Amino acid sequence: MPLDLNFIVRNLPLFGRGLIVTVELSLLAIGLAMAWGLVVAFGRMARVRWLRTVAGAYIELVRDTPVLVQMYFIYFGFSMAGFGMSGFLSGLLALSLQNGGYIAEIYRAGIESISVKQVEGGKALGMSRWDVMSIVVLPQALVRVISPLANQFIVIIKDTSLVSAIAVAELTQIGKLLTERSAASYEVFLTIAVLYLMMTGIVSGLSRLAERQFAIYH
Amino acid sequence: MIPQALLRNALYLLRGAEFTVLLSAGSIVLSTVVGAIVALSHAFGPTPLRILVELYLFLVRGIPLLILLFAMYYMLPYAGIDLNPIAGGILVIGIYYGAFMSQVFRAAILSLPKSQWDAARGLGMRLPLILQIVVFPQAFRIAAPPFVNTCMQLVKSTSLVSIIGLWELTMAGREAVERTLAPFQIFAGVALIYFCICFSLASYGRYLEKRMQYVH
Repeated sequence: MPLDLNFIVRNLPLFGRGLIVTVELSLLAIGLAMAWGLVVAFGRMARVRWLRTVAGAYIELVRDTPVLVQMYFIYFGFSMAGFGMSGFLSGLLALSLQNGGYIAEIYRAGIESISVKQVEGGKALGMSRWDVMSIVVLPQALVRVISPLANQFIVIIKDTSLVSAIAVAELTQIGKLLTERSAASYEVFLTIAVLYLMMTGIVSGLSRLAERQFAIYH
Repeated sequence: MIPQALLRNALYLLRGAEFTVLLSAGSIVLSTVVGAIVALSHAFGPTPLRILVELYLFLVRGIPLLILLFAMYYMLPYAGIDLNPIAGGILVIGIYYGAFMSQVFRAAILSLPKSQWDAARGLGMRLPLILQIVVFPQAFRIAAPPFVNTCMQLVKSTSLVSIIGLWELTMAGREAVERTLAPFQIFAGVALIYFCICFSLASYGRYLEKRMQYVH
């Protein structure tokens, strides 16, 4: 079956609109998940025991349930409770909450991968707890988390497709509408797949660049 | 405060969970087979095959599962293939997760020290025999924890088939919500069932990982 390139070109503005929403949602979710992950990670490593327990339970809870069910819970639940959120906001919230849990574990693994000897060395030199963290541990940990973080960003970008199930006109939803309207399913899915590949490709390319840029040689 | 809507629909949700388990089991079997074949081709195959594998991994890594499910749903009928929706779901999820499984297996195979390969070759063994009595018995143990983890991700991903209209736990939840108008209760129940499945898998994975540490 020959591809109808004309069809793709004709509908580029429509794809573009969906793409913008997907990019917006992805960037916001990545930003929020990174910030929320930091809070959860600090809770997970806190000195206070109950804080550690709460953070651990939270991580387990968001990681062991599907993000789609979390989206439904937020979207349908709050609208029934009287303060409904848009599909975009519900999706953003669910993506940030779940990936915050994943990213918290990435941060923690990065921080704990720095040898205890370095921390002890820093303390022996008379550095404060904060100085040890900000001068010794974090700069090294940050380099080590680049690649797992980028992987998580890719998961987030791919998972934004799920908000098509709660009526957000992003890339996947646009594709679905176009397919139902025109029956040009090959053209539509090819275009969408290429657009997703471009977005995820940019992220993995940037992460490789960043890793090379900030590499620490031992 | 008794969650009445949830209690009345508990059996309905559990029947949905049955389908989720069925769907997951089928997909896990398929993805394991696909993953094993892909991992072996990636590690030992000729260059053209390896390039093909790289392409497959690149596509799966970059394209959302939902898009592939939609593609199957909309495109197979046009291609004249009439597939049972459950079989279609298992097919797409199995092939998708085959990529992640292959990464798990390949990492396990390649994690063995080179000296063991050299020793086996030095004893005059050929590749199939080396794999059979040297590599696989050890690689199985190394691959077990990440394998269980990938299975857990797969179970969560089966919820996506509800978007293309397949009946399983998430779909059962949506139907129950339409009947009862109690989304918090019902979806909390749905999440609880997923949690039970995934938490047991995750705990088992952690147990395997812990036991691994004593081996070395």
